[in-house]
Amino acid sequence: MKRGKEVPEKDLGFQLAPMIDVVFVIMLFFMVMAGAVKVEYEIKTTLPGTVENTESTDQPEEVNIGVSEAGEITLNQDPIGRPGDKELKDLYIEMKKLADAATQAKMKIVVTVAAEETAKYDRIMNVLDVLAKAKVSNVTFSATSGDEF
Amino acid sequence: MGGSAGGESDDPDFQIAPIIDVLLVLLIFFMSITSAQVLKIDKNIFLPVAKNGEERDDKGKGAVLLNVAWDKALGTVKVSLDETVLDLEDKEKSVEMIRQKAIDPATKKHNPKARLLIRADRLVTAKYINKVLELGAEAGLDNIAFTGLNQEDQAMLAKRGGQ
Repeated sequence: MKRGKEVPEKDLGFQLAPMIDVVFVIMLFFMVMAGAVKVEYEIKTTLPGTVENTESTDQPEEVNIGVSEAGEITLNQDPIGRPGDKELKDLYIEMKKLADAATQAKMKIVVTVAAEETAKYDRIMNVLDVLAKAKVSNVTFSATSGDEF
Repeated sequence: MGGSAGGESDDPDFQIAPIIDVLLVLLIFFMSITSAQVLKIDKNIFLPVAKNGEERDDKGKGAVLLNVAWDKALGTVKVSLDETVLDLEDKEKSVEMIRQKAIDPATKKHNPKARLLIRADRLVTAKYINKVLELGAEAGLDNIAFTGLNQEDQAMLAKRGGQ
């Protein structure tokens, strides 16, 4: 009856193989998560203001982009984006042209996004996103009662 | 002279130590990029997509964060400054709270670099965005940034029924 006492306790030591397994699994988890991570991006705009200036300055080119309640986009009163068109390729092409022309002429381009009061923020962000893509930085925002459309 | 040339019979062993080193470095890398970018977003706010925007950088600049959630039942917004809910009817108080938030703790003065970060739900209407901008303007903040996600949040989109 000395069965239990006879078994020598073997020191297994530090086991590397299971540790590598675990590390691999954790690493795979983080690798997969890294691809699906949602990052918060920001689009900068400024509020229109007044600055005292003694030197003469060039008049910047002004562009007005309208956003209607239904989601229709207009560029200087001309329709350029249908409701539901999130990519707004036509607007991008026009804005890119204007931005490039302004850069060549060493002029500034000022874009005002005028949205109807009932226009959705999602649609406004579509426009702001396109402007950011076209590298237009001077963007101001205003909401109108809707009579201007 | 059999030092370096005489090793043809030595079969190089599989070295476990450098493997572990590399694995740990990779693990730390992926852990850091994942945890640094995970958002702490108000779950009621469904941000729009702004994949061409810049990544948020709050270092060295005082960012005044305004969360604008949409109450579908009431058809109005709930604006909160960090955790505090602002009353849009009590404009003076709201402006004062935003102004306090824009004070540089080091100089105890208004931080001219402070910017207003608007994190609004995609259903919020322009009227309310304008109201929030007005609050910021009256508090002396003219640097505005609208925030959005780098990619579509499919889970939230399904929850909202594609809106």
